[in-house]
Amino acid sequence: MRYEMLDKPDFGMVRVTFDQAGEQMLCESGAMVSRDSAIEMQTNMQGGLLAAAKRKMLGGESLFQNTFTAQAPGQTLWLAPGPEGDVEVLEMNGTMPVFLQSGAWMASAPSVTLDTKWGGAKGFFSGAGLFLLKCEGHGPLFFNCYGGMHAVDVGQAGYICDTSHIVGFTAGLDYRVTKVGGLKSLFFSGEGLVCEFRGQGRLWISTRNAASLATFLHPFRPVERRG
Amino acid sequence: MQIDIAYRPAHSLARVGLQAGESVVAESGAMVGMSTNVQMQTQSGGLMKGLKRMFGGESFFRNTFTAQNGPGEVLFAQSLCGDMATLEMTPNGYFIQSSSFIASSPNVNIETKVGGFKTFFAGEGVFVLKATAAGPGQCLVGAFGGIQEMMCDGTLVIDTGHLVAWDATLEYSVGKSASGWIASFLSGEGLVCHFRGQGRIWIQTRNPAEYGSTVGKMLPARKG
Repeated sequence: MRYEMLDKPDFGMVRVTFDQAGEQMLCESGAMVSRDSAIEMQTNMQGGLLAAAKRKMLGGESLFQNTFTAQAPGQTLWLAPGPEGDVEVLEMNGTMPVFLQSGAWMASAPSVTLDTKWGGAKGFFSGAGLFLLKCEGHGPLFFNCYGGMHAVDVGQAGYICDTSHIVGFTAGLDYRVTKVGGLKSLFFSGEGLVCEFRGQGRLWISTRNAASLATFLHPFRPVERRG
Repeated sequence: MQIDIAYRPAHSLARVGLQAGESVVAESGAMVGMSTNVQMQTQSGGLMKGLKRMFGGESFFRNTFTAQNGPGEVLFAQSLCGDMATLEMTPNGYFIQSSSFIASSPNVNIETKVGGFKTFFAGEGVFVLKATAAGPGQCLVGAFGGIQEMMCDGTLVIDTGHLVAWDATLEYSVGKSASGWIASFLSGEGLVCHFRGQGRIWIQTRNPAEYGSTVGKMLPARKG
């Protein structure tokens, strides 16, 4: 299996070429743009109903995922995410799991397992809305974000990131949800909550977030007439 | 203070590098990420100043980021898609459309100018900030869409929704775009800014209000 990253960074897209019959790619529902005719698509709930429901509820991913299987060599599959923005690929080698923010996963080799990790009370009750998908195994992992994708190699000093801009991070990092500044800052700074990362690893940050766009558009919506 | 802008033009991100003890002042909500040794402080600069800023279409509070015990960095971005530009301070300073302001050096004085009665009701956010500094300094501005730098030599008319910043050497007045109010309204051009003099003007290639009304009317109605 080979792949090519196209139209980066604003409108990222992936072209996957299957070298042999039987090769597979697991994709977020709706990610397929086009495919050669000798590729079969199968829709299923990976890991069964319970795991899929958990992923849907906690991980923000679809209940169903599509598996594309090449029936002949040399078949190509084109994939793109829903929002405008970048797509990144990580070649997983079995040693370093990756955590993705809900909705960031786009596709991966079937040898990569996806599990919704309970972010713990810190992610759930802090209001940060941090639900993480744990990706582990071998092969390519494709993920996307709204806006540009900025990678930060976090070292001893750690790094702070606005919770609404986190795309994902490698397992060597641990985080805690915190506030920046004093109590006054929590309410008035407009910065809300941040994640403080410690450890060794890579952190991906999106340069925009779709929630801000929605907030901007809200006042422009028509107003419902009463009675 | 070293500003590097990446991911241009659509999803630009500014990385501000700070020396130990150095600060940068930013619009609230603009911070995306930062080093752990950077401290953030929230100030309103006094109630009246804060209120005036809020009427200027900005937030009441501004944040000051300071690198402690060594160098650090802060990442800034605006909320909509678009490019950014760094303005080097000049003796005359700049006028900045209030929603375009992202950050500035701490020695840059930012004052809110209310553009008069007419602009108050225009709803196009023609509130402007005046940025001045006694010495060298920088202002970081963000646009919706791309940024074009234009030269005004004499007179120039620009749609208020497309303004980002201009040299304070220019005289400006906000008015209607055609001679009559009805024609102005029907033209869809709304309010324009009339410039006079010599100086540079930075414009954004998209108008946020136009974008909002184009997309907004396709969305389901909200409760009144």
